[in-house]
Amino acid sequence: MGRQDRDERRRHAERLEEVREALKKGELLEPGVTMPGMSRRTFIHKSLVFGGAAAGVSAAKLWLPLINTFDMAYAAEGGMNNFRFAWVSDTHLYPEEVNDRFVEKAKLAVEEINALDPPADFVVIGGDVAQLGDPVELRLGKAILDEIDVEKHYIPGEHDWYLDMGELWVDQFGEAPWTFDHKGVRFIGLDTVGHGPDYWSATNMTPEQRMGHMAGLDNSVTGPWAGLGKAQREWLQSTLSDWPKDDPVIIFSHNPLYEYYPPWNFWTRDWRETQEILAPYTNVTSFHGHTHQVLYNEIGNFRSIGMLATAWPWPYAPENVPKLTRPMTRVDPGDHFDGVGWDLMRFRDNRAEHEYMMWRRRDHLFASRPEDTTVTKNATIRLRSRVADRQWVGKYKGTD
Amino acid sequence: MNKTTTGRLRLPELMLFGVAAGVFALGATLVVTGMLVGTKPAAAHKEHHAQEDLALFQELFMEQVILGDRLFHGDAEAAEEMGVNLSDTGMACAMCHPHGRDTNPHEFPKWQEQMSEFATLRDMTNWCIENPNQGEVIDDDSQAMKALEAYQIWSHTGSVLNPGEH
Repeated sequence: MGRQDRDERRRHAERLEEVREALKKGELLEPGVTMPGMSRRTFIHKSLVFGGAAAGVSAAKLWLPLINTFDMAYAAEGGMNNFRFAWVSDTHLYPEEVNDRFVEKAKLAVEEINALDPPADFVVIGGDVAQLGDPVELRLGKAILDEIDVEKHYIPGEHDWYLDMGELWVDQFGEAPWTFDHKGVRFIGLDTVGHGPDYWSATNMTPEQRMGHMAGLDNSVTGPWAGLGKAQREWLQSTLSDWPKDDPVIIFSHNPLYEYYPPWNFWTRDWRETQEILAPYTNVTSFHGHTHQVLYNEIGNFRSIGMLATAWPWPYAPENVPKLTRPMTRVDPGDHFDGVGWDLMRFRDNRAEHEYMMWRRRDHLFASRPEDTTVTKNATIRLRSRVADRQWVGKYKGTD
Repeated sequence: MNKTTTGRLRLPELMLFGVAAGVFALGATLVVTGMLVGTKPAAAHKEHHAQEDLALFQELFMEQVILGDRLFHGDAEAAEEMGVNLSDTGMACAMCHPHGRDTNPHEFPKWQEQMSEFATLRDMTNWCIENPNQGEVIDDDSQAMKALEAYQIWSHTGSVLNPGEH
Protein backbone atom coordinates (compact mmCIF):
# COMPACT_ATOMS: atom_id res chain seq x y z
CA MET A 1 0.00 0.00 0.00
CA GLY A 2 1.45 3.35 -1.01
CA ARG A 3 1.58 6.50 1.08
CA GLN A 4 -1.24 8.04 -0.93
CA ASP A 5 -3.49 5.04 -0.30
CA ARG A 6 -2.74 5.13 3.41
CA ASP A 7 -3.54 8.85 3.59
CA GLU A 8 -6.78 8.25 1.74
CA ARG A 9 -7.78 5.46 4.11
CA ARG A 10 -6.94 7.60 7.12
CA ARG A 11 -9.04 10.48 5.82
CA HIS A 12 -11.89 8.09 5.11
CA ALA A 13 -11.70 6.66 8.65
CA GLU A 14 -11.71 10.18 10.08
CA ARG A 15 -14.80 11.10 8.07
CA LEU A 16 -16.62 8.01 9.24
CA GLU A 17 -15.69 8.77 12.85
CA GLU A 18 -17.05 12.29 12.51
CA VAL A 19 -20.32 10.98 11.08
CA ARG A 20 -20.62 8.49 13.94
CA GLU A 21 -19.97 11.23 16.50
CA ALA A 22 -22.54 13.49 14.89
CA LEU A 23 -25.06 10.65 14.90
CA LYS A 24 -24.42 10.00 18.60
CA LYS A 25 -24.95 13.65 19.47
CA GLY A 26 -28.15 13.75 17.47
CA GLU A 27 -26.73 16.52 15.33
CA LEU A 28 -27.83 14.92 12.09
CA LEU A 29 -31.40 15.46 11.15
CA GLU A 30 -34.18 12.98 11.63
CA PRO A 31 -34.85 10.80 8.58
CA GLY A 32 -36.76 12.64 5.92
CA VAL A 33 -36.32 16.06 7.48
CA THR A 34 -34.09 18.67 5.93
CA MET A 35 -32.82 22.07 6.84
CA PRO A 36 -34.62 24.95 5.12
CA GLY A 37 -32.72 25.65 1.95
CA MET A 38 -30.31 22.82 2.54
CA SER A 39 -30.24 19.26 1.35
CA ARG A 40 -29.39 16.53 3.78
CA ARG A 41 -26.35 15.64 1.75
CA THR A 42 -25.08 19.18 1.95
CA PHE A 43 -25.74 19.24 5.62
CA ILE A 44 -23.64 16.17 6.23
CA HIS A 45 -20.93 17.49 3.97
CA LYS A 46 -20.85 20.89 5.65
CA SER A 47 -21.06 19.39 9.09
CA LEU A 48 -17.89 17.52 8.31
CA VAL A 49 -16.15 20.51 6.89
CA PHE A 50 -17.20 23.00 9.53
CA GLY A 51 -17.29 20.87 12.62
CA GLY A 52 -20.54 19.03 12.77
CA ALA A 53 -23.09 21.57 13.93
CA ALA A 54 -26.17 22.59 12.03
CA ALA A 55 -26.28 26.00 13.65
CA GLY A 56 -25.25 28.90 11.50
CA VAL A 57 -25.96 27.21 8.21
CA SER A 58 -27.36 29.87 5.98
CA ALA A 59 -30.65 29.31 4.23
CA ALA A 60 -30.05 32.30 2.01
CA LYS A 61 -31.49 32.07 -1.47
CA LEU A 62 -28.68 31.39 -3.86
CA TRP A 63 -29.97 31.16 -7.39
CA LEU A 64 -27.09 29.08 -8.67
CA PRO A 65 -25.83 27.79 -10.90
CA LEU A 66 -26.56 29.11 -14.32
CA ILE A 67 -26.64 26.67 -17.14
CA ASN A 68 -26.79 26.93 -20.88
CA THR A 69 -25.72 30.45 -21.56
CA PHE A 70 -25.68 30.62 -25.31
CA ASP A 71 -25.33 33.15 -28.06
CA MET A 72 -28.65 34.01 -29.59
CA ALA A 73 -28.71 37.02 -31.85
CA TYR A 74 -32.27 37.95 -31.18
CA ALA A 75 -32.68 41.65 -31.12
CA ALA A 76 -31.85 45.09 -32.22
CA GLU A 77 -28.97 47.06 -30.83
CA GLY A 78 -28.21 48.58 -27.51
CA GLY A 79 -29.97 46.06 -25.38
CA MET A 80 -33.28 47.72 -26.06
CA ASN A 81 -34.94 44.37 -26.32
CA ASN A 82 -33.64 42.77 -23.16
CA PHE A 83 -36.35 40.70 -21.55
CA ARG A 84 -37.12 37.56 -19.60
CA PHE A 85 -39.80 34.93 -19.44
CA ALA A 86 -40.62 32.17 -16.98
CA TRP A 87 -41.78 28.56 -17.33
CA VAL A 88 -43.86 26.64 -14.85
CA SER A 89 -45.31 23.22 -15.52
CA ASP A 90 -46.01 19.70 -14.32
CA THR A 91 -47.82 20.85 -11.21
CA HIS A 92 -49.85 17.58 -11.32
CA LEU A 93 -52.50 18.95 -9.02
CA TYR A 94 -54.80 16.61 -7.15
CA PRO A 95 -57.73 18.14 -5.26
CA GLU A 96 -56.16 20.01 -2.35
CA GLU A 97 -57.57 17.63 0.29
CA VAL A 98 -55.75 14.72 -1.43
CA ASN A 99 -52.37 16.42 -1.74
CA ASP A 100 -51.71 19.89 -0.36
CA ARG A 101 -47.97 19.66 -1.09
CA PHE A 102 -48.46 19.95 -4.85
CA VAL A 103 -50.78 22.92 -4.31
CA GLU A 104 -48.26 24.57 -2.01
CA LYS A 105 -45.48 24.24 -4.57
CA ALA A 106 -47.58 25.51 -7.48
CA LYS A 107 -48.48 28.57 -5.40
CA LEU A 108 -44.84 29.09 -4.44
CA ALA A 109 -43.82 29.13 -8.11
CA VAL A 110 -46.50 31.73 -8.84
CA GLU A 111 -45.38 33.89 -5.90
CA GLU A 112 -41.73 33.78 -6.96
CA ILE A 113 -42.55 34.59 -10.59
CA ASN A 114 -44.65 37.55 -9.47
CA ALA A 115 -41.73 38.73 -7.31
CA LEU A 116 -39.30 38.89 -10.25
CA ASP A 117 -37.72 42.30 -10.62
CA PRO A 118 -37.76 43.30 -13.41
CA PRO A 119 -40.86 41.26 -14.08
CA ALA A 120 -41.11 38.56 -16.71
CA ASP A 121 -42.66 39.66 -19.99
CA PHE A 122 -44.75 36.49 -20.02
CA VAL A 123 -45.02 33.01 -18.54
CA VAL A 124 -45.42 29.70 -20.34
CA ILE A 125 -47.38 26.92 -18.67
CA GLY A 126 -45.95 23.66 -19.98
CA GLY A 127 -48.78 21.21 -19.30
CA ASP A 128 -49.74 18.55 -16.75
CA VAL A 129 -51.42 21.18 -14.61
CA ALA A 130 -53.76 18.40 -13.36
CA GLN A 131 -52.94 14.84 -12.29
CA LEU A 132 -56.04 12.97 -13.52
CA GLY A 133 -57.72 15.56 -15.75
CA ASP A 134 -60.41 15.99 -13.11
CA PRO A 135 -62.46 19.22 -13.41
CA VAL A 136 -61.67 19.98 -9.75
CA GLU A 137 -57.95 19.70 -10.51
CA LEU A 138 -58.08 21.75 -13.71
CA ARG A 139 -60.14 24.51 -12.06
CA LEU A 140 -57.79 24.54 -9.08
CA GLY A 141 -54.89 24.95 -11.51
CA LYS A 142 -56.66 27.75 -13.32
CA ALA A 143 -57.32 29.57 -10.04
CA ILE A 144 -53.67 29.29 -8.95
CA LEU A 145 -52.19 30.24 -12.32
CA ASP A 146 -54.60 33.15 -12.77
CA GLU A 147 -52.70 34.81 -9.92
CA ILE A 148 -49.70 35.28 -12.24
CA ASP A 149 -49.59 39.00 -12.95
CA VAL A 150 -48.23 38.87 -16.49
CA GLU A 151 -49.36 37.39 -19.79
CA LYS A 152 -49.71 33.58 -19.82
CA HIS A 153 -49.45 31.03 -22.64
CA TYR A 154 -50.57 27.42 -22.19
CA ILE A 155 -49.73 24.08 -23.80
CA PRO A 156 -51.38 20.84 -22.62
CA GLY A 157 -49.93 17.71 -21.02
CA GLU A 158 -51.39 14.20 -21.17
CA HIS A 159 -52.64 14.42 -17.57
CA ASP A 160 -54.82 17.39 -18.56
CA TRP A 161 -56.29 15.73 -21.60
CA TYR A 162 -57.41 12.11 -21.46
CA LEU A 163 -60.43 12.22 -19.16
CA ASP A 164 -62.55 14.31 -21.53
CA MET A 165 -60.13 14.42 -24.50
CA GLY A 166 -59.09 17.97 -23.84
CA GLU A 167 -62.55 19.55 -23.71
CA LEU A 168 -62.23 21.35 -20.38
CA TRP A 169 -58.57 22.13 -20.99
CA VAL A 170 -59.32 23.95 -24.25
CA ASP A 171 -62.27 25.69 -22.64
CA GLN A 172 -60.15 27.02 -19.76
CA PHE A 173 -56.71 27.49 -21.30
CA GLY A 174 -57.26 27.76 -25.05
CA GLU A 175 -56.07 25.78 -28.04
CA ALA A 176 -52.56 24.89 -29.16
CA PRO A 177 -50.58 25.20 -31.39
CA TRP A 178 -50.05 28.92 -31.27
CA THR A 179 -47.36 31.42 -32.23
CA PHE A 180 -46.37 35.00 -31.53
CA ASP A 181 -43.35 37.21 -32.13
CA HIS A 182 -41.75 39.02 -29.24
CA LYS A 183 -38.71 41.31 -29.37
CA GLY A 184 -37.09 39.59 -32.32
CA VAL A 185 -37.91 36.00 -31.39
CA ARG A 186 -40.61 33.81 -32.92
CA PHE A 187 -42.28 31.80 -30.15
CA ILE A 188 -44.26 28.65 -30.94
CA GLY A 189 -46.33 26.46 -28.59
CA LEU A 190 -47.17 22.89 -29.68
CA ASP A 191 -49.68 20.25 -28.60
CA THR A 192 -47.79 16.94 -28.36
CA VAL A 193 -50.44 15.06 -26.36
CA GLY A 194 -53.71 15.28 -28.29
CA HIS A 195 -52.68 13.36 -31.41
CA GLY A 196 -51.98 9.88 -30.03
CA PRO A 197 -53.38 6.52 -31.12
CA ASP A 198 -56.79 5.29 -29.94
CA TYR A 199 -55.74 2.70 -27.34
CA TRP A 200 -59.06 2.70 -25.48
CA SER A 201 -61.82 1.67 -27.90
CA ALA A 202 -60.66 -1.91 -28.50
CA THR A 203 -60.94 -2.73 -24.79
CA ASN A 204 -63.99 -0.52 -24.10
CA MET A 205 -62.29 1.61 -21.48
CA THR A 206 -64.25 4.15 -19.49
CA PRO A 207 -62.89 7.72 -19.57
CA GLU A 208 -61.50 7.15 -16.06
CA GLN A 209 -59.71 3.99 -17.17
CA ARG A 210 -58.34 5.78 -20.23
CA MET A 211 -57.01 8.59 -18.04
CA GLY A 212 -55.73 6.13 -15.43
CA HIS A 213 -53.53 4.28 -17.91
CA MET A 214 -52.28 7.51 -19.42
CA ALA A 215 -51.37 8.83 -15.96
CA GLY A 216 -48.87 5.98 -15.49
CA LEU A 217 -45.58 6.96 -17.12
CA ASP A 218 -44.50 3.31 -17.33
CA ASN A 219 -47.82 1.82 -18.41
CA SER A 220 -47.82 -0.90 -21.08
CA VAL A 221 -51.09 0.19 -22.68
CA THR A 222 -51.00 3.64 -24.24
CA GLY A 223 -48.12 3.26 -26.70
CA PRO A 224 -46.34 6.08 -28.52
CA TRP A 225 -48.90 8.77 -27.79
CA ALA A 226 -46.53 11.73 -27.89
CA GLY A 227 -46.28 13.40 -31.27
CA LEU A 228 -47.23 16.39 -33.40
CA GLY A 229 -49.20 14.57 -36.08
CA LYS A 230 -49.25 15.43 -39.77
CA ALA A 231 -51.57 18.44 -39.60
CA GLN A 232 -49.56 20.12 -36.85
CA ARG A 233 -46.27 19.47 -38.64
CA GLU A 234 -47.71 21.14 -41.72
CA TRP A 235 -48.86 24.05 -39.54
CA LEU A 236 -45.32 24.31 -38.10
CA GLN A 237 -43.76 24.39 -41.55
CA SER A 238 -46.23 27.00 -42.72
CA THR A 239 -45.76 29.13 -39.59
CA LEU A 240 -42.00 29.21 -40.08
CA SER A 241 -42.11 29.81 -43.83
CA ASP A 242 -42.04 33.63 -43.52
CA TRP A 243 -39.40 33.67 -40.77
CA PRO A 244 -35.75 34.46 -41.68
CA LYS A 245 -33.63 31.31 -41.45
CA ASP A 246 -31.07 32.86 -39.07
CA ASP A 247 -33.50 34.54 -36.70
CA PRO A 248 -34.21 32.90 -33.36
CA VAL A 249 -37.06 30.48 -32.89
CA ILE A 250 -38.16 29.18 -29.49
CA ILE A 251 -40.52 26.21 -29.36
CA PHE A 252 -42.45 25.01 -26.33
CA SER A 253 -43.82 21.48 -26.10
CA HIS A 254 -44.77 19.12 -23.32
CA ASN A 255 -42.68 16.23 -24.67
CA PRO A 256 -39.10 16.41 -25.97
CA LEU A 257 -38.77 16.98 -29.72
CA TYR A 258 -36.11 14.28 -30.02
CA GLU A 259 -35.81 10.63 -29.03
CA TYR A 260 -34.66 10.19 -25.46
CA TYR A 261 -36.63 7.24 -23.99
CA PRO A 262 -39.78 6.10 -25.86
CA PRO A 263 -41.06 3.68 -23.14
CA TRP A 264 -41.84 6.74 -21.00
CA ASN A 265 -42.76 8.92 -24.00
CA PHE A 266 -39.63 10.94 -23.36
CA TRP A 267 -39.82 11.76 -27.09
CA THR A 268 -42.23 12.63 -29.86
CA ARG A 269 -42.70 9.71 -32.24
CA ASP A 270 -42.43 11.98 -35.31
CA TRP A 271 -39.34 13.84 -34.09
CA ARG A 272 -37.41 13.04 -37.28
CA GLU A 273 -40.02 14.72 -39.46
CA THR A 274 -40.13 17.66 -37.03
CA GLN A 275 -36.34 17.99 -37.15
CA GLU A 276 -36.47 18.05 -40.96
CA ILE A 277 -38.84 21.02 -40.80
CA LEU A 278 -36.56 22.83 -38.34
CA ALA A 279 -33.25 21.94 -40.02
CA PRO A 280 -33.05 25.05 -42.29
CA TYR A 281 -33.33 27.36 -39.28
CA THR A 282 -30.00 28.02 -37.64
CA ASN A 283 -31.14 29.19 -34.22
CA VAL A 284 -33.85 26.95 -32.77
CA THR A 285 -34.28 26.31 -29.05
CA SER A 286 -36.81 23.87 -27.66
CA PHE A 287 -38.10 23.91 -24.08
CA HIS A 288 -40.07 20.91 -22.91
CA GLY A 289 -41.72 19.55 -19.78
CA HIS A 290 -42.82 15.95 -19.02
CA THR A 291 -39.37 14.67 -18.06
CA HIS A 292 -39.20 16.47 -14.66
CA GLN A 293 -35.40 16.58 -14.74
CA VAL A 294 -32.34 18.50 -15.84
CA LEU A 295 -31.70 17.73 -19.52
CA TYR A 296 -29.76 19.27 -22.36
CA ASN A 297 -29.34 18.07 -25.93
CA GLU A 298 -28.27 19.35 -29.32
CA ILE A 299 -29.00 18.06 -32.81
CA GLY A 300 -27.31 20.21 -35.45
CA ASN A 301 -28.51 23.77 -34.93
CA PHE A 302 -31.31 22.62 -32.68
CA ARG A 303 -30.87 22.76 -28.91
CA SER A 304 -33.25 21.32 -26.36
CA ILE A 305 -33.62 22.00 -22.66
CA GLY A 306 -35.66 19.88 -20.25
CA MET A 307 -37.52 21.97 -17.70
CA LEU A 308 -38.37 21.30 -14.08
CA ALA A 309 -41.66 20.13 -12.61
CA THR A 310 -43.04 21.70 -9.48
CA ALA A 311 -44.61 18.40 -8.32
CA TRP A 312 -41.86 15.77 -8.21
CA PRO A 313 -38.70 14.82 -10.15
CA TRP A 314 -38.57 11.78 -12.45
CA PRO A 315 -35.48 9.59 -12.39
CA TYR A 316 -33.22 9.53 -15.42
CA ALA A 317 -34.09 6.82 -17.93
CA PRO A 318 -32.01 3.64 -17.73
CA GLU A 319 -30.40 4.39 -21.10
CA ASN A 320 -29.91 7.05 -23.75
CA VAL A 321 -29.53 10.10 -21.47
CA PRO A 322 -28.19 12.75 -23.89
CA LYS A 323 -24.41 12.93 -23.66
CA LEU A 324 -24.52 16.72 -23.47
CA THR A 325 -26.63 16.60 -20.33
CA ARG A 326 -24.86 17.45 -17.14
CA PRO A 327 -27.03 15.38 -14.80
CA MET A 328 -28.66 16.79 -11.71
CA THR A 329 -27.56 15.66 -8.30
CA ARG A 330 -29.82 12.87 -7.08
CA VAL A 331 -32.64 14.11 -4.91
CA ASP A 332 -33.56 13.52 -1.30
CA PRO A 333 -36.88 11.64 -1.43
CA GLY A 334 -37.73 12.86 2.08
CA ASP A 335 -37.77 16.49 0.96
CA HIS A 336 -40.65 17.29 -1.38
CA PHE A 337 -39.05 20.60 -2.36
CA ASP A 338 -35.94 18.84 -3.67
CA GLY A 339 -35.36 18.40 -7.39
CA VAL A 340 -38.30 20.61 -8.37
CA GLY A 341 -39.01 24.27 -9.13
CA TRP A 342 -39.53 26.42 -12.20
CA ASP A 343 -37.38 27.92 -14.97
CA LEU A 344 -36.28 31.39 -16.00
CA MET A 345 -34.94 32.61 -19.34
CA ARG A 346 -33.11 35.93 -19.57
CA PHE A 347 -32.28 37.67 -22.85
CA ARG A 348 -29.56 40.24 -22.45
CA ASP A 349 -27.14 41.78 -24.93
CA ASN A 350 -27.73 39.15 -27.56
CA ARG A 351 -27.17 36.32 -25.16
CA ALA A 352 -29.77 34.02 -23.69
CA GLU A 353 -29.43 32.42 -20.28
CA HIS A 354 -31.53 29.60 -18.94
CA GLU A 355 -31.65 29.03 -15.22
CA TYR A 356 -33.12 26.15 -13.22
CA MET A 357 -34.94 27.77 -10.29
CA MET A 358 -34.76 24.65 -8.17
CA TRP A 359 -35.98 25.03 -4.61
CA ARG A 360 -33.11 23.02 -3.17
CA ARG A 361 -29.51 22.36 -4.16
CA ARG A 362 -28.93 25.88 -5.34
CA ASP A 363 -25.26 25.44 -4.62
CA HIS A 364 -24.83 22.00 -6.16
CA LEU A 365 -27.60 21.40 -8.65
CA PHE A 366 -25.35 19.51 -11.05
CA ALA A 367 -23.60 16.32 -10.05
CA SER A 368 -19.88 16.84 -9.89
CA ARG A 369 -18.93 13.24 -9.13
CA PRO A 370 -20.25 9.92 -10.47
CA GLU A 371 -21.64 8.88 -7.09
CA ASP A 372 -23.81 12.02 -6.88
CA THR A 373 -26.03 11.03 -9.80
CA THR A 374 -27.99 7.91 -10.65
CA VAL A 375 -27.13 8.18 -14.35
CA THR A 376 -23.84 6.40 -13.74
CA LYS A 377 -25.72 3.39 -12.40
CA ASN A 378 -27.10 2.74 -15.87
CA ALA A 379 -24.15 0.52 -16.72
CA THR A 380 -25.36 -2.11 -14.24
CA ILE A 381 -29.14 -1.72 -14.50
CA ARG A 382 -31.70 -3.48 -16.66
CA LEU A 383 -35.42 -2.75 -16.33
CA ARG A 384 -38.47 -4.72 -17.46
CA SER A 385 -41.90 -3.63 -18.68
CA ARG A 386 -44.91 -3.98 -16.40
CA VAL A 387 -47.09 -7.08 -16.35
CA ALA A 388 -50.14 -6.17 -14.27
CA ASP A 389 -51.70 -3.94 -16.95
CA ARG A 390 -51.14 -6.12 -20.00
CA GLN A 391 -54.73 -7.33 -20.07
CA TRP A 392 -55.60 -3.82 -21.27
CA VAL A 393 -53.29 -3.87 -24.23
CA GLY A 394 -55.48 -4.04 -27.31
CA LYS A 395 -55.33 -3.21 -30.96
CA TYR A 396 -55.28 0.47 -31.55
CA LYS A 397 -55.64 2.72 -34.52
CA GLY A 398 -52.48 4.02 -36.08
CA THR A 399 -51.45 7.63 -36.21
CA ASP A 400 -49.99 10.00 -38.73
CA MET B 1 -53.03 -72.18 0.40
CA ASN B 2 -54.99 -72.51 -2.78
CA LYS B 3 -56.05 -69.77 -5.02
CA THR B 4 -59.27 -70.09 -6.89
CA THR B 5 -59.15 -70.12 -10.62
CA THR B 6 -60.79 -66.73 -10.65
CA GLY B 7 -57.74 -65.21 -8.94
CA ARG B 8 -59.63 -64.10 -5.88
CA LEU B 9 -57.59 -63.87 -2.68
CA ARG B 10 -58.46 -65.47 0.56
CA LEU B 11 -59.45 -63.34 3.57
CA PRO B 12 -56.04 -63.07 5.37
CA GLU B 13 -54.36 -62.01 2.17
CA LEU B 14 -57.07 -59.48 1.55
CA MET B 15 -56.61 -58.01 5.03
CA LEU B 16 -52.86 -57.76 4.58
CA PHE B 17 -53.31 -56.02 1.24
CA GLY B 18 -55.86 -53.62 2.75
CA VAL B 19 -53.55 -52.65 5.61
CA ALA B 20 -50.63 -52.08 3.22
CA ALA B 21 -52.78 -49.93 0.96
CA GLY B 22 -54.00 -47.93 3.95
CA VAL B 23 -50.46 -47.26 5.17
CA PHE B 24 -49.40 -46.17 1.71
CA ALA B 25 -52.37 -43.84 1.37
CA LEU B 26 -51.69 -42.33 4.79
CA GLY B 27 -48.04 -41.79 3.93
CA ALA B 28 -48.88 -40.22 0.60
CA THR B 29 -51.42 -37.94 2.29
CA LEU B 30 -48.85 -36.81 4.82
CA VAL B 31 -46.28 -36.07 2.11
CA VAL B 32 -48.76 -34.08 0.00
CA THR B 33 -50.07 -32.24 3.06
CA GLY B 34 -46.51 -31.51 4.10
CA MET B 35 -45.79 -30.02 0.69
CA LEU B 36 -48.87 -27.86 0.82
CA VAL B 37 -48.57 -26.49 4.33
CA GLY B 38 -44.78 -26.44 4.46
CA THR B 39 -44.35 -28.90 7.32
CA LYS B 40 -41.78 -31.65 7.40
CA PRO B 41 -40.92 -33.94 5.83
CA ALA B 42 -39.51 -31.65 3.15
CA ALA B 43 -40.17 -32.88 -0.34
CA ALA B 44 -38.00 -30.59 -2.48
CA HIS B 45 -35.73 -32.09 -5.09
CA LYS B 46 -36.60 -35.71 -4.29
CA GLU B 47 -37.74 -36.17 -7.86
CA HIS B 48 -36.69 -34.63 -11.14
CA HIS B 49 -38.95 -31.70 -12.03
CA ALA B 50 -41.36 -31.96 -14.88
CA GLN B 51 -41.95 -28.96 -17.10
CA GLU B 52 -45.36 -28.47 -15.50
CA ASP B 53 -43.72 -28.25 -12.05
CA LEU B 54 -41.48 -25.47 -13.26
CA ALA B 55 -44.39 -23.72 -14.94
CA LEU B 56 -46.31 -23.89 -11.66
CA PHE B 57 -43.39 -22.44 -9.70
CA GLN B 58 -43.11 -19.61 -12.22
CA GLU B 59 -46.83 -18.98 -12.08
CA LEU B 60 -46.79 -18.79 -8.30
CA PHE B 61 -43.87 -16.36 -8.48
CA MET B 62 -45.51 -14.17 -11.12
CA GLU B 63 -48.70 -13.98 -9.05
CA GLN B 64 -46.65 -12.21 -6.41
CA VAL B 65 -44.91 -10.00 -8.99
CA ILE B 66 -48.26 -8.95 -10.42
CA LEU B 67 -49.66 -8.24 -6.96
CA GLY B 68 -46.53 -6.20 -6.20
CA ASP B 69 -46.84 -4.39 -9.54
CA ARG B 70 -50.42 -3.41 -8.66
CA LEU B 71 -49.50 -2.21 -5.17
CA PHE B 72 -46.46 -0.37 -6.51
CA HIS B 73 -48.65 1.44 -9.04
CA GLY B 74 -51.27 2.54 -6.53
CA ASP B 75 -54.01 0.02 -7.41
CA ALA B 76 -56.68 0.79 -4.80
CA GLU B 77 -58.32 -2.65 -5.07
CA ALA B 78 -55.04 -4.45 -4.47
CA ALA B 79 -54.35 -2.27 -1.43
CA GLU B 80 -57.80 -3.03 -0.07
CA GLU B 81 -57.38 -6.76 -0.68
CA MET B 82 -54.12 -6.68 1.26
CA GLY B 83 -55.49 -4.39 3.96
CA VAL B 84 -52.73 -1.80 3.51
CA ASN B 85 -52.62 1.97 3.10
CA LEU B 86 -49.41 2.69 1.21
CA SER B 87 -50.06 6.39 0.61
CA ASP B 88 -52.02 9.33 1.91
CA THR B 89 -50.83 11.82 -0.69
CA GLY B 90 -52.12 10.30 -3.91
CA MET B 91 -48.50 9.37 -4.66
CA ALA B 92 -47.83 5.79 -5.72
CA CYS B 93 -44.34 4.23 -5.62
CA ALA B 94 -44.20 4.21 -9.43
CA MET B 95 -44.67 7.98 -9.62
CA CYS B 96 -41.03 8.39 -8.56
CA HIS B 97 -39.93 4.93 -9.73
CA PRO B 98 -41.31 4.15 -13.22
CA HIS B 99 -40.50 0.52 -14.04
CA GLY B 100 -38.98 0.40 -10.57
CA ARG B 101 -36.17 2.76 -11.62
CA ASP B 102 -34.02 4.00 -8.73
CA THR B 103 -35.39 1.47 -6.28
CA ASN B 104 -32.09 -0.34 -6.89
CA PRO B 105 -33.02 -3.66 -5.26
CA HIS B 106 -29.72 -5.12 -6.49
CA GLU B 107 -27.79 -2.75 -4.20
CA PHE B 108 -29.36 -3.84 -0.91
CA PRO B 109 -28.53 -4.31 1.87
CA LYS B 110 -26.64 -1.07 2.35
CA TRP B 111 -26.08 1.92 4.59
CA GLN B 112 -29.11 4.05 3.84
CA GLU B 113 -28.42 7.73 4.21
CA GLN B 114 -32.02 8.88 4.75
CA MET B 115 -32.51 6.39 7.56
CA SER B 116 -29.04 6.66 9.05
CA GLU B 117 -28.93 2.90 9.39
CA PHE B 118 -27.96 -0.32 7.69
CA ALA B 119 -31.07 -1.21 5.71
CA THR B 120 -32.68 -3.92 3.65
CA LEU B 121 -34.91 -3.32 0.64
CA ARG B 122 -37.91 -3.92 2.91
CA ASP B 123 -36.67 -1.25 5.34
CA MET B 124 -36.33 1.22 2.49
CA THR B 125 -39.74 0.33 1.08
CA ASN B 126 -41.33 1.06 4.43
CA TRP B 127 -39.37 4.31 4.73
CA CYS B 128 -40.82 5.48 1.41
CA ILE B 129 -44.33 4.43 2.45
CA GLU B 130 -44.01 6.38 5.69
CA ASN B 131 -42.21 9.52 4.50
CA PRO B 132 -42.80 10.70 0.93
CA ASN B 133 -46.08 8.76 0.65
CA GLN B 134 -47.21 9.49 4.22
CA GLY B 135 -48.88 6.07 4.33
CA GLU B 136 -48.88 3.41 7.02
CA VAL B 137 -45.86 1.12 7.36
CA ILE B 138 -46.56 -2.55 6.72
CA ASP B 139 -45.32 -5.67 8.45
CA ASP B 140 -41.88 -6.70 7.21
CA ASP B 141 -43.07 -10.26 6.65
CA SER B 142 -46.51 -9.45 5.28
CA GLN B 143 -47.68 -10.72 1.93
CA ALA B 144 -47.89 -7.13 0.68
CA MET B 145 -44.23 -6.51 1.53
CA LYS B 146 -43.13 -9.78 -0.07
CA ALA B 147 -45.08 -8.86 -3.20
CA LEU B 148 -43.56 -5.36 -3.33
CA GLU B 149 -40.13 -6.91 -2.94
CA ALA B 150 -40.90 -9.45 -5.68
CA TYR B 151 -41.94 -6.73 -8.13
CA GLN B 152 -38.94 -4.51 -7.45
CA ILE B 153 -36.43 -7.34 -7.82
CA TRP B 154 -38.20 -8.84 -10.83
CA SER B 155 -38.25 -5.41 -12.53
CA HIS B 156 -34.44 -5.40 -12.27
CA THR B 157 -33.90 -8.86 -13.79
CA GLY B 158 -30.50 -8.92 -15.42
CA SER B 159 -29.08 -6.04 -13.37
CA VAL B 160 -25.70 -6.64 -11.80
CA LEU B 161 -25.83 -7.56 -8.12
CA ASN B 162 -24.01 -4.77 -6.34
CA PRO B 163 -24.72 -4.88 -2.59
CA GLY B 164 -23.72 -1.92 -0.47
CA GLU B 165 -23.55 0.50 -3.42
CA HIS B 166 -24.55 4.06 -2.53
